[in-house]
Amino acid sequence: MTHRYVVGGCGIALMAFGGSLLVAQPEPWRVVLWLASGVLVHDGLLAPLVIAIAALAAAAGVRLRGVARAALIVAGSLTVIALPPLLRPGGVANATVLPLDYPRNWLVAMAAVTVIWAGYAGVRACVRRAARRRPDRR
Amino acid sequence: MGFMRITPPSGPPITFTGRLHDARTATVLGRLLGLAIAVCFATGVLSHCLQHPPAWLADRLPSRPYWGYRLTQGLHVASGIAAIPLLPAKLWAVYPRLFTWPPVRSVRHALERLSVAVLVAAGIFELFTGLLNTFQWYPWPFSFVPVHYAVAWLLLGALLLHIAVQWPRIRDHFTRRSPGTLALPAADGPDRRRLLAAVVAGAGAATLTTVGQSVTALGPLDLFGPRSPDHGPQGLPVNRTAAAARVTEASLTGWRLTVAGPRPYSLTLDELRAMPQYEVTLPLACVEGWSKSARWTGVRVRDLLDRAGGGPDARCRVVSLEAAGAYRVMDMGRLYAQDPLTLLALGLNGEVLSLDHGYPARIIAPNRPGVLQTKWVGRLEVS
Repeated sequence: MTHRYVVGGCGIALMAFGGSLLVAQPEPWRVVLWLASGVLVHDGLLAPLVIAIAALAAAAGVRLRGVARAALIVAGSLTVIALPPLLRPGGVANATVLPLDYPRNWLVAMAAVTVIWAGYAGVRACVRRAARRRPDRR
Repeated sequence: MGFMRITPPSGPPITFTGRLHDARTATVLGRLLGLAIAVCFATGVLSHCLQHPPAWLADRLPSRPYWGYRLTQGLHVASGIAAIPLLPAKLWAVYPRLFTWPPVRSVRHALERLSVAVLVAAGIFELFTGLLNTFQWYPWPFSFVPVHYAVAWLLLGALLLHIAVQWPRIRDHFTRRSPGTLALPAADGPDRRRLLAAVVAGAGAATLTTVGQSVTALGPLDLFGPRSPDHGPQGLPVNRTAAAARVTEASLTGWRLTVAGPRPYSLTLDELRAMPQYEVTLPLACVEGWSKSARWTGVRVRDLLDRAGGGPDARCRVVSLEAAGAYRVMDMGRLYAQDPLTLLALGLNGEVLSLDHGYPARIIAPNRPGVLQTKWVGRLEVS
């Protein structure tokens, strides 16, 4: 119990330290605005969107579980990482900054996820069919 | 009866029927995310200390291991990127708690929820600003370094407070055999494990497709990194070009290195080349996460300081020829200045330094952030 209070107290002290560093910045309210916007965009936009898509899929009879869900999570993770180089406006400082063909690489990554997903689903379907044909062997 | 009508308490406006929004899922994801944030925070504070050392620390910063900063800053960016899929997964697991009914039960409950809001805000903010910084994209109206640093402390503090507040639930769901885990529907177990495996795969995929910018061997997997070890003059990426620093071939005519100290002197490039030359293999490791090893040739900084009358404890100040810039003047602590690996480099990978890599002479020191590897050196001062 004491440990919890010590850890919690340390947490409050570090938050106060971080807060004091923030307040020392010119126009700290701009930072607060960006901090709050992140939460609003996530809680009010992205999370409801994901939950709505899952609900729509469920209503349409598509089961977003197992491998399909894993493929979507991996594809989504890669897409989030790819968004900054895909969307960044303006020129770069020199030719060694953002030197790759990011649209092509994003397509390669999505193709790789699709191939692995389809391959895994295909192998699993074959294994299951074989298992059903020889129920005594199981 | 019915002489007194009791108004039934109104229920929560939103309820969730989906699976896995439970404390076990939140605990496992929270452990992974907490670990990533801890690594990211520790390496970030270390980088901050190396880049802006307080006076009492400057002479104690070690120059070894020579690959230290390459490892820690590579870890900083890699753990931050790994956290990017983990954070939304964790928030998804606990999302129904946002609609807790009634929204506020007591002052203590309100403070708890406020601390969670700070935690979520700081977490999203740090990952977002950190990721965009590696792409040199600054859409916000404030200075990146001090704000990213300040919010890091806010995030760590809110995380510690969160762990303290949630400790009983974390403890009750820590393992598969913990009492809280066993109380959850057993049928959710395999589904939960598949979900966690998928999130770990997402974090792993995001890390693997970017970490090639600092792990040269994984360069072929670098699909989304802002840098690629293969792109750059003389086999090395560049952050600040000569043009950006307003250094031109013409501005370098008649260049001499000035060394200030008890016995000041100056040297032409030919005189520098006539001094004992050393070859070292050291990485250039940028605060933005990319790094690459290279072969450097040149004169030991401690030889130059010795000749100016600096003793065995001499440290130095290095001044660049660039017109302006936050790192035009660089101070080098004693352990860096006296390390035999620290060179005033004249050559890179078997060639004369190119203008973008700091011709005619640049600093290369072990275990230091790239911005402190001063290019276009004009002056050394024993300090």
